[in-house]
Amino acid sequence: MRYYLIDADKNELIVDLSSTKIHNADLVEYKFSTLKENKEIHASTVFVRKLAGMYYSSFDGISWAKLARQEIPTKMLNVNKVYDLYRGFKPSGLAGTGAGEMVTQMPGKIVKIQTKIGDKVSKGQTLVILEAMKMENEIKCGIDGVVKAIHVNVGQALEQGVLMLEVGKP
Amino acid sequence: MTTIKKKRILIANRGEIATRIAKAIKELNHTSVGIWTDNEPSAAHLEFCHEWVRLEGTTNAETYLNIPKIIELCKKHKIDAVHPGYGFLSENGNFVKALDENGIIFIGPNTKATSQMGDKAISKQLAKKAGIPTVPGSADAVPTLDEAIKISKEIGYPVMLKAVAGGGGRGMRVCHHEEDVRKNFEVVGREAQSAFGNAGLLVEKFILNPHHIEVQILADKKGNVFHFFERECSVQRRNQKIIEEAPSPFIGEDEALRTNICETAVNLARAVGYDSAGTVEFIMGEDKKFYFLEMNTRIQVEHPITEEITGVDLIVCMIQAAFGEDLGIPNQQWIRRSGHAIECRICAEDPITMLPAPGLVTGFETVFPQGTRFDHCLFRGLKVTPDFDPMVGKLVTKGIIREVAMRKMRAALDGLLIEGLKTNIPLHKVILKDEPFIRGNYTTKYIEEYRPQDRVNVELQPDGIYKILAGVEARQMGL
Repeated sequence: MRYYLIDADKNELIVDLSSTKIHNADLVEYKFSTLKENKEIHASTVFVRKLAGMYYSSFDGISWAKLARQEIPTKMLNVNKVYDLYRGFKPSGLAGTGAGEMVTQMPGKIVKIQTKIGDKVSKGQTLVILEAMKMENEIKCGIDGVVKAIHVNVGQALEQGVLMLEVGKP
Repeated sequence: MTTIKKKRILIANRGEIATRIAKAIKELNHTSVGIWTDNEPSAAHLEFCHEWVRLEGTTNAETYLNIPKIIELCKKHKIDAVHPGYGFLSENGNFVKALDENGIIFIGPNTKATSQMGDKAISKQLAKKAGIPTVPGSADAVPTLDEAIKISKEIGYPVMLKAVAGGGGRGMRVCHHEEDVRKNFEVVGREAQSAFGNAGLLVEKFILNPHHIEVQILADKKGNVFHFFERECSVQRRNQKIIEEAPSPFIGEDEALRTNICETAVNLARAVGYDSAGTVEFIMGEDKKFYFLEMNTRIQVEHPITEEITGVDLIVCMIQAAFGEDLGIPNQQWIRRSGHAIECRICAEDPITMLPAPGLVTGFETVFPQGTRFDHCLFRGLKVTPDFDPMVGKLVTKGIIREVAMRKMRAALDGLLIEGLKTNIPLHKVILKDEPFIRGNYTTKYIEEYRPQDRVNVELQPDGIYKILAGVEARQMGL
């Protein structure tokens, strides 16, 4: 799973969740890394443990700190900067891809296509569900527009960088 | 023991103070009636209210500031008394009058005290008459720019232009020379008109290196007036307090000065026939000479620190006083203070620019040390809108001495986890570790002079992001 954090000046930060290891029902281990120009610049392992209904995190499995539990947030905060947070997809129109072109960010299998050609769609709407790394990922539309073309079918296995869908101006 | 009839009390406010009032009403076994408006349907304070009433409208003018509509609500819901909280209609003479005319009790001082103290010019004259030192300046609202310049020359620069009906740091401006007065006179007048419905301006001397020290007053309808010692609120930005403490570190061990300022406040309250909770604000110069600034005829944001050091429940007492009940306080000597309390106002604002930053709270948890109190309106999913004040909570710690209160505050700030929303928590963390604050000799110029905002660490910490993302993933997996 990949996360994209984009600030108001369009600076972007890519955080890769490279592995998830479930130790038991209450303890999970995650490996994260930060990418810059496709190079890993930082990496860490984080443990999350559930205790009395609360989440605690740790880097060493020994010292733990409480986490403010969140559903998938659309914003992430760092002191005075708020980033837009995208989980599993990079919004169209950013970093080279044409607005509305939805390209796979990781290899995966199409589980569901929730739209058809000619549909009016809005920014943030889930159009495709892609299974990757044993997780279902909602692929959201980056702009308001109309679905112009669908290049994939349900059940199809895709490599990274495949154009799935095109959304354009009505 | 007399049995008191169960009263129906409307809380004409929102946010943390509405919650605080609702708790007091519940404790006193009255019925609390909370208000929600169309732009805040999931108002958290309702959780503590017995009855929830809709106040139609989306702007404050249509809702919390709408006197006819609130009176109408009171009649419809058979309200016996209204607690205004702070801000909104808490110091509005017309509101008090309208309630009076409809036989509804205003939980606050009598009409005379509100109208006299609510007007800065009249309150100053009254204070002078009562022999209380006041800051040199115009006795009345200054009608023209020329008059303002003339008075400024007489009392000497710097001067402060200040809305007659102002409060909360709005509608005031410091002028260092004539040009400033020329530039600001109209602007501040306009600000005053739009914020308080009164364009009248006062001119007064601006005290250098001042400390903001205020005295908590509590009076009843039987003529008892008590003080609950002082608070120091010198950490301010844009003339608005962000950290308060009780007792004042500037007064420190000087008990004679403490007694003097507190008794001065009591004298003023007596002079105006005060009969509720209120605060007399003073400005204290480097020479420890103090001048009366204004009296706030309402409960104040920072009342918890006084409650913490004296053990009194000010909101409860305020309600009891309004119904003419006994406060249960035999005399002034009976009121004692112990320890030290600090309050940090937690605001939805940028910690560096200190400008409001609305947003959505995506996560909220607390891990507090012993001796922490957090009066707040936060919850996961809270949308902070620009419609209301950015203050979302008040973090209060109490310790046996100031050092302990500060230590607890540092720990409490570390344990206040708010995600998604910019807050001034990082700024508070810097201030609580800053030498001038730790020494306890800081003035209202502290933020300007020492600029703690420049020392907020904004460096991006990948580990911090991983932690948060790990939490999100864990949630997604259903951990």
